[in-house]
Amino acid sequence: MNFKKLGIIIQREYLNKVKKKSFLLITVLAPVLFAAIAILPSVIMMGTKEEAKKVGVIDRSGIVLSYLEDNDVTHYIDLGAAADIDALKADLKGAGVDVLLSVSELDPETLSVKADTYSEKPLGMDTGSMIENRINDAVEAYRIEQSGIANLEEIMAGVKSNVKLRSYTIDETGKESISESGIYMAISMLLGIAIYMFIALFSGMVMSSVIEEKSSRVVEVLVSSVKAVELMFGKIIGVALVALTQFLLWILLTGIFLGVAMGFIGKDKIMGMMDNPAVPTEMVEGMPATPDMAEVSDMNVIMSTLGNINLAQIGIAFLFFFIFGYLLYASLFAAIGSGVENEGDSSQLQLPVTIPLMIGFFVALYAFKAPDSSLVFWFSMIPFTSPIVMLARIPFGVATWELILSIVLLVGTFIACAWASAKIYKVGILMYGKKSSFKDLYKWLKMK
Amino acid sequence: MAIIEVQNVSKTFGSKVALDKVSLEIPEGKIFGLLGPNGAGKSTLIRIINRITIASEGQVLFQGHPISEADVARIGYLPEERGLYRKMKVGDQAMYLAQLKGMSSREAALELKKWFVRFDIADWWNKKVEELSKGMAQKVQFITTVVHRPSLMILDEPFSGFDPVNVDLIRKEILRLKDEGATIILSTHNMESVEELCENIALINKGKLVVCGGTDEIRRQHGEDNVEIEYTDNLKDRKTVVVARPEVNATLQDLLDKQFTINSFKEVIPRMNDIFIKLVKEEE
Repeated sequence: MNFKKLGIIIQREYLNKVKKKSFLLITVLAPVLFAAIAILPSVIMMGTKEEAKKVGVIDRSGIVLSYLEDNDVTHYIDLGAAADIDALKADLKGAGVDVLLSVSELDPETLSVKADTYSEKPLGMDTGSMIENRINDAVEAYRIEQSGIANLEEIMAGVKSNVKLRSYTIDETGKESISESGIYMAISMLLGIAIYMFIALFSGMVMSSVIEEKSSRVVEVLVSSVKAVELMFGKIIGVALVALTQFLLWILLTGIFLGVAMGFIGKDKIMGMMDNPAVPTEMVEGMPATPDMAEVSDMNVIMSTLGNINLAQIGIAFLFFFIFGYLLYASLFAAIGSGVENEGDSSQLQLPVTIPLMIGFFVALYAFKAPDSSLVFWFSMIPFTSPIVMLARIPFGVATWELILSIVLLVGTFIACAWASAKIYKVGILMYGKKSSFKDLYKWLKMK
Repeated sequence: MAIIEVQNVSKTFGSKVALDKVSLEIPEGKIFGLLGPNGAGKSTLIRIINRITIASEGQVLFQGHPISEADVARIGYLPEERGLYRKMKVGDQAMYLAQLKGMSSREAALELKKWFVRFDIADWWNKKVEELSKGMAQKVQFITTVVHRPSLMILDEPFSGFDPVNVDLIRKEILRLKDEGATIILSTHNMESVEELCENIALINKGKLVVCGGTDEIRRQHGEDNVEIEYTDNLKDRKTVVVARPEVNATLQDLLDKQFTINSFKEVIPRMNDIFIKLVKEEE
């Protein structure tokens, strides 16, 4: 290896990619998207309270109306029990209401009512469930009253149960921390998707670059100055540096954008919304709060779970598995690229390389269901799927020996594939004028 | 002295023999024509000299020693299959190729600017290759082949695809570089340029060396030794007749006997093209 020339090749490959408009665009737009995804749910919840609706009520049961209290979402108007439903239905606007709520007379046998609403626009979910809850409250209260049992209301309240399962994880030191498996699942899937996307994206970039040099015929001039192997690795390393630059910029820019957005909207509001995700308060109403409910709010669980996850370990593992997974696939894609002169011809040759990548991706998507099952374990060891599947396993904790074994297998396979790819590449780039098949690639591999 | 000695070089691709024990010497400071039909093995031989491909057998000496990577920096190669990065700026691209040949960036910039001015394309430094006309791109390509002052230049079909103006330009540059002491290997089908430029040639067919030597010598050995006589007959018509040398006297005698006027009498210089075709056919 002539490292000076390797350096020149890496430099060209890197600058050429980084200076592209598409690189700049993705580098800036992706963090905007990430920041938006992080903030948007709270912003949406802040901004999408339903408009206050005027609900005209025809209560023929006589028990519901008193339970319908005005709030910022609904404003109830009593239309009287004897109002003409059909006439009102025909002209909601004329009656000055948005929604018409009709409650039937009490059914003496079931001790219940029927309730219907009529409106021009569909009723929002929040409004609908709130009205329903109020009517149920009214019916329940009526039944309690009818039962004739003294203090039944208190008894019922005492009977209601609201047990929440809390999951703790215990680490080696015996320290317990509260965790939420949903978060592990989300992180696991996110890591699997991210590493799959990056490996596919950047090793595809290497292949395009190889094809570009071959189809533009610049390659023969190049290999008269440098060794084909230097050219191939220069390209692979150059693109790897592009990837690392992009990650770094993404992390930095996402941080900056988040900071700016929080400053703009107000940090308190966002954190406040996060603390109190808009679970319709009506549903929780009436449930006796357990003494330490406040202490273990949803946000606390999320924070505790995040704190529980070894972010440094995930970061390092991500970098390591990305780099070697990328190197493995990039060298394979480089060999494939050397066999074709335009990208359209590459699809057939790509297939056997793309399939293990896809398998890895799908196993990773379901890894959260059984992160320690033998299927997931083996796919996290097999080098072609391990970068993706292992990453999906990592949030659930992976034994050190498994990590080391997986990495050793991956690095070893990379070295073997790089060696084979270099041999194919060396011959392939100088073959013009015909579409190559696997037979050709195999022939080139065996050539001295 | 020979700058390149090819010694018993063979190259096989699987069962296919591309070169079969080829030996030849390329004299320093001369223009050497490498001829042969398509698929004869010229490009394979060139790639072996360039160290792009490794010979299955035999070796190549560069100025007396087995050719090494350091020597490759002293070779300028214009392949038959050539091109440039379409999306890259002309100047950046030329700088890149010059640096890969071992030039420092300062040296490369200095030399390239000189060449760009000489070829009248200085304005194109910051343009992308895809914006260039084909002729312009060819000039850039030629510059990148010679900018590092190679002592050996290997030009594979240098005139193919060039327009007549550029062919003339390149031809002049080749002669100028030769005068400055460079050795040039010209691989081509274009027999006119061979006759005009090459002092030595080698003909390869089906992987084997058919003939190698000085151009004049080969002409003498393989050309048909004919004489062309132009005369005016009794009806005042001008006519020419071509006869092999042994029959020249008899023919002349015959013409004089008929009282015809002899206008001119000259040796026919055999055309390289004919020798080429003759030798290739003899092989088959």
